[in-house]
Amino acid sequence: MHTIVCIKQVPDPEIPPAKFKIDPVAKKVIPPPGVPPVISVYDERAVEAACRLKDKHKGKITVLSLGSEKATDVVRHAISMGADEGYVLQDEAFENLDSFGTAYVLGKAIQKIGGYDLILCGRQAADWGAGQVGSILAEILGLPIITLACDIQVEDKKLKIKRILKDGFEIVEAPTPAVATVSSEIGLPRLPAGVALMLARRKQIPIWKAKDIGADLSELDPSKVHTEITEIFIPTRERKCEMIPGATPAEVATNLVSKLVKLI
Amino acid sequence: MSEYKGVMVLGEITEGKLAPITIELLGIGRRLANDLGEELSLLLMGGKAGVLAREAIAYGANKVYVAEDSLFDEYNSDTYTQWISNFCQKTMPSILLIGHTDIGCDLAPRLNGRLRGGLAMDAVNLSIDPSTKLLVSTRPIFGGNAYAKVVSRFARPQMATVRTKIFPPAERDDSRQGEIVSVAEKVDPSIIKAKVIDRIKEEFEGVKLEDAEVIVSGGHGIGSAKNFELLWELARLLGGTVGATRRACDEGWVPVTRQIGQSGKVVSPKLYIAVALSGAMSHIVGCLGSKCIVAINKDPEANIFNVAHFGIVADYKEVLPVLIEKFKEQRSP
Amino acid sequence: MASREVFWNITYGYVVYVLAAIGIAIWLYGFYQRYRVWRLGRPDECAKEIGKRIGVFIRTTIVDVFFHRKFLRQPFSGTMHLIIFWGFVILLLASAVDAISYYSGYHIQGTPYLWFSLISDFGGFLILLGILMAALRRYVWKPRSLNSLLDDGIVLSSLTAILITGYMIEGLRQAATEISPHPDWAVWSPGGWVFAKIFIDLSEGTLRSWHKFLWWFHSALTVGVILYSGLTFSKLQHLIVSPLNIFFRSLGPVGAPTPIDIEKAEILGVGEIKDFTWKQLLDLDACTNCGRCEDNCPAWATGKPLSPRKLVQDLKGHMLHLSSNSADSHESSLPLIGEAPNEAEIWACTTCAACQEACPVYVEHILKVIDLRRHLVLAQNKMPESAQLMLRNMQMRGHPWAGAQSLRLRGDWTTGLDLNLLGEGNHVNTLLWVGCTGALIDRNVEVTLSLTRVLKAAGVDFAILGEAETCCGDPARRAGYEFQFQLMAEQNIEIFKSHHIQEIITSCPHCFNIIKNEYPKYGGEFRVLHYTQLLWGLIKQGRLSLSKEVKTVLTYHDPCYLGRYNGIYSEPRKILQGIPQVRIKEMRRSRERSFCCGGGGGHMWIEEQPGTQKISQRRIEDVLNTGVDTVVTSCPYCLQMFEESIENKDSLKVKDLIEIVESSLKKSS
Repeated sequence: MHTIVCIKQVPDPEIPPAKFKIDPVAKKVIPPPGVPPVISVYDERAVEAACRLKDKHKGKITVLSLGSEKATDVVRHAISMGADEGYVLQDEAFENLDSFGTAYVLGKAIQKIGGYDLILCGRQAADWGAGQVGSILAEILGLPIITLACDIQVEDKKLKIKRILKDGFEIVEAPTPAVATVSSEIGLPRLPAGVALMLARRKQIPIWKAKDIGADLSELDPSKVHTEITEIFIPTRERKCEMIPGATPAEVATNLVSKLVKLI
Repeated sequence: MSEYKGVMVLGEITEGKLAPITIELLGIGRRLANDLGEELSLLLMGGKAGVLAREAIAYGANKVYVAEDSLFDEYNSDTYTQWISNFCQKTMPSILLIGHTDIGCDLAPRLNGRLRGGLAMDAVNLSIDPSTKLLVSTRPIFGGNAYAKVVSRFARPQMATVRTKIFPPAERDDSRQGEIVSVAEKVDPSIIKAKVIDRIKEEFEGVKLEDAEVIVSGGHGIGSAKNFELLWELARLLGGTVGATRRACDEGWVPVTRQIGQSGKVVSPKLYIAVALSGAMSHIVGCLGSKCIVAINKDPEANIFNVAHFGIVADYKEVLPVLIEKFKEQRSP
Repeated sequence: MASREVFWNITYGYVVYVLAAIGIAIWLYGFYQRYRVWRLGRPDECAKEIGKRIGVFIRTTIVDVFFHRKFLRQPFSGTMHLIIFWGFVILLLASAVDAISYYSGYHIQGTPYLWFSLISDFGGFLILLGILMAALRRYVWKPRSLNSLLDDGIVLSSLTAILITGYMIEGLRQAATEISPHPDWAVWSPGGWVFAKIFIDLSEGTLRSWHKFLWWFHSALTVGVILYSGLTFSKLQHLIVSPLNIFFRSLGPVGAPTPIDIEKAEILGVGEIKDFTWKQLLDLDACTNCGRCEDNCPAWATGKPLSPRKLVQDLKGHMLHLSSNSADSHESSLPLIGEAPNEAEIWACTTCAACQEACPVYVEHILKVIDLRRHLVLAQNKMPESAQLMLRNMQMRGHPWAGAQSLRLRGDWTTGLDLNLLGEGNHVNTLLWVGCTGALIDRNVEVTLSLTRVLKAAGVDFAILGEAETCCGDPARRAGYEFQFQLMAEQNIEIFKSHHIQEIITSCPHCFNIIKNEYPKYGGEFRVLHYTQLLWGLIKQGRLSLSKEVKTVLTYHDPCYLGRYNGIYSEPRKILQGIPQVRIKEMRRSRERSFCCGGGGGHMWIEEQPGTQKISQRRIEDVLNTGVDTVVTSCPYCLQMFEESIENKDSLKVKDLIEIVESSLKKSS
């Protein structure tokens, strides 16, 4: 069985909150120097899901990453977990794409690769977290989409996918090929080790440009984006702890609840 | 693009009633519609849709579309996407609001892909830009460290999944008038590719610390395993789970798997309630990713107050029971 | 002239040599069979450097075998073995003397003979006393670490029989030839004399026939014991196998694992018994099941399922299963890791080396544990979740402190300080290597800052890497995640070389140990110092003067990786002793016998078995027993483990040695 996994390289989410800086003019996040980017948390789970399927059913895993040339690092990481090969999609035209543009480019690359049974993505990217690429990709390719997978089984060419719900799980049955987005409930991804790690060190990772995948640049025209970010901001976080007032425990509790209601 | 008009809310029906999020969406939807000077419509799907339509009008909808097909009683991605996209292509709403629920999170991106509109997920604020008349959605990015305002200049409909309990519910006014439109179009069940074959409700203890949205955490000040039950009660009520500091785990009051901190788990829930724990840095490291930290501790000098957003200096044994009560009151319909 | 006739009353005495030769031949055959089993293991580096080995062997023999250094750490059983050993040496020498006398014609006579006889008898007596002590310990006191097998009983009883019959033979001879004509000689052979007095009334004929019978019985029994030992590979084999094991003991640094060639390795770690090297298999046979390792193991002492003795014996069981399947067999043996040894045992080890330090026959336990971990991690991807979290963080972020990066980044500790931060292309002689803990964990950053201030006060010219520093790789290597360690080692060596660094000062013994002892195999040889070594040197040179009073009663806890791994015990103490008003009270378990803090072997992150006492808590008990107000250590892990475990921070403080040093520095104007 052939699984294609789409992964993204993101700035490391694990930094002191005080160091999280944005450039409001460029509308970009400035990662602190010296902190290397990492593979997006859910995408790594998607690779893990693919590896588990490969453990059981043999077959092949291809990894795709749309990003900068540095994205070869995350592709290599996926290979060291057990993927067979990977490609980086890098082109000037691929910068600043929205979810539709991203899905379009990935779709073109996937069509070029072909012969797949399952496409996996993380449920959302750890950076911008739009959470749509997987579903839009499914629409572009005309495939069923199953979101928030925490366990994927294959029986007689049919997928049995366990999905996370707010208060439990459901099992969805779907034909192959299909697209699934993977959530962190799948568990810890495996450690790169063994033969896979050795393979990853030597592996060549091709970089595909727009022409390599036959992308129509007019589809990626910046004026054609479906969503734009007009502003990014960091909510002012009061450094001081706000002490909840109240003469009695009941009053204090009431005041606290009213403060928290928006959160949950 | 000017053919797209109005605010449409995708309603959800839970346990035979309008879901609370739907009532909240009607509230914010009404405001947006007023700002645009346009209509607010609601789409209800399923066997019970007709019965609830009147109520929806009382909550502010000008028009309620009803698709009273029992096929829609159970959500299915294929049928809903197909039907709603056809429906939207006919009704052409300018804005489409969906709840950020199990259904909404699954449906919205796919619907957006089908309709090729513009979608912002997990919106915590919505407004109409006075000059452009565009829907401005505010959504969290980078794990909630920042927020982005998103617009769709050309793509239609402008879609947003809205986080629950952000907006107040719409006010009910039974004197309101409105139109109920029955939509007869059917969808062919043979288009279903992915179907649910089983559903399992889970005990809360199953929610992993790393994935929990609410964590109630206890420290050495809790005093005993029995006292942790109070934390469990609060956690379950809020749909979360219980964590603990290393010392509490060492004492055996909770399993070691509940340990949060430098040598335990690193968590980032929306709400972290730190009960009777001093806030040693080795513990703080594990919970600093929380969006909101509430500290309850007898000692006003405790370090936890240096990192918490809200603090209560009190004996947790006095505060927690009342807090539980207040939350219960707030949550009951 | 006092003397005795060798081979008196014995005809065809040379037959005993024939018997012995046959016995030895059969013994050699048995040994050869075992040798073939050992050789099923993979090649080992220890076959090299034979010349150096001979020197080490002689030294070890003198210190550990003649003087029984390690044995005597357990006074009772050490003494027991000491007297058995020397008793046998005496008896064997005596027998050799007899044999030489007989064939050379030169006999000891007169007073020398009497002393000779006395010493021989004394030798036998020593052995009997030793056996009595052994039996008392094994069968009456029954300490937990001593599990008794049938072999033990057979050995003790057959040796007793040999000795008793030996005295009986002597007594019979004395009764027949000595007592009457030379009563004053008899007392010089007290063992025989006892029996002589019992037999005195027997007729000469009876005496002679009993004597002959017992003589041959005694000889046959001895040959029998040799055969028994050789064919069953009894613990008596340690007479040959243990010296062999000592000869082939690792000459390299303590606990330094063998590199795995990433490109070519076919076997990752040890998954089957044959994956061990032949020397490691030899180890399993050298073990005499004495239990000293178990007695000193901190994991065992706090209720974890790990006993180093049991681990070795379980592995030996696997090896024996192999030999019973015929040593020729190429079939793979049973998977090693399952019930015994099981994963919980393998992960419980803190690699503290107390087991190896205690072992009198130089069994090397640590590398076996690491080899097993390598198999679990690299080949099977199986490890405790806490280990996996730590190793993932090593792999993704280059340090083991998952979550810590949410609080501070690697280079944050340098903010606002006037330090020589190495930029690209800068060259410097001396580097201060801060370590992950010293850069990322608040309490340990205090120690790092203190160290930089002291170094500056002493005028030491050093540079730092700041955020360019990544982990030395120790936690990964000890947890079996070898490839990650190798990548980090190679990367660090490249960084060191790019800055032309010659000397590296560390504050963490784990960094110190791995950079000094294990990096050379990857092309990185530098002069590496732990800060205590550097400071002591500076004090001797007069560049650092500790003159301010520090009124404190403290105890010094020897970190495992500084002490047992690298032999650094005295420098920290000398530094502390030189500080005015400092009083040091040593714990009972200090220096080589120091009890681990529980942080090594990856256990700073890997959870200890729930429901058991924390190793650090057990060590704190040792500290509290001294009644001091401060425990001083020179390792960031020890500092962390103690800080976590001390219940009442008002009654006991934990300090790093550098902090005591700094408080003794007179502030510069």
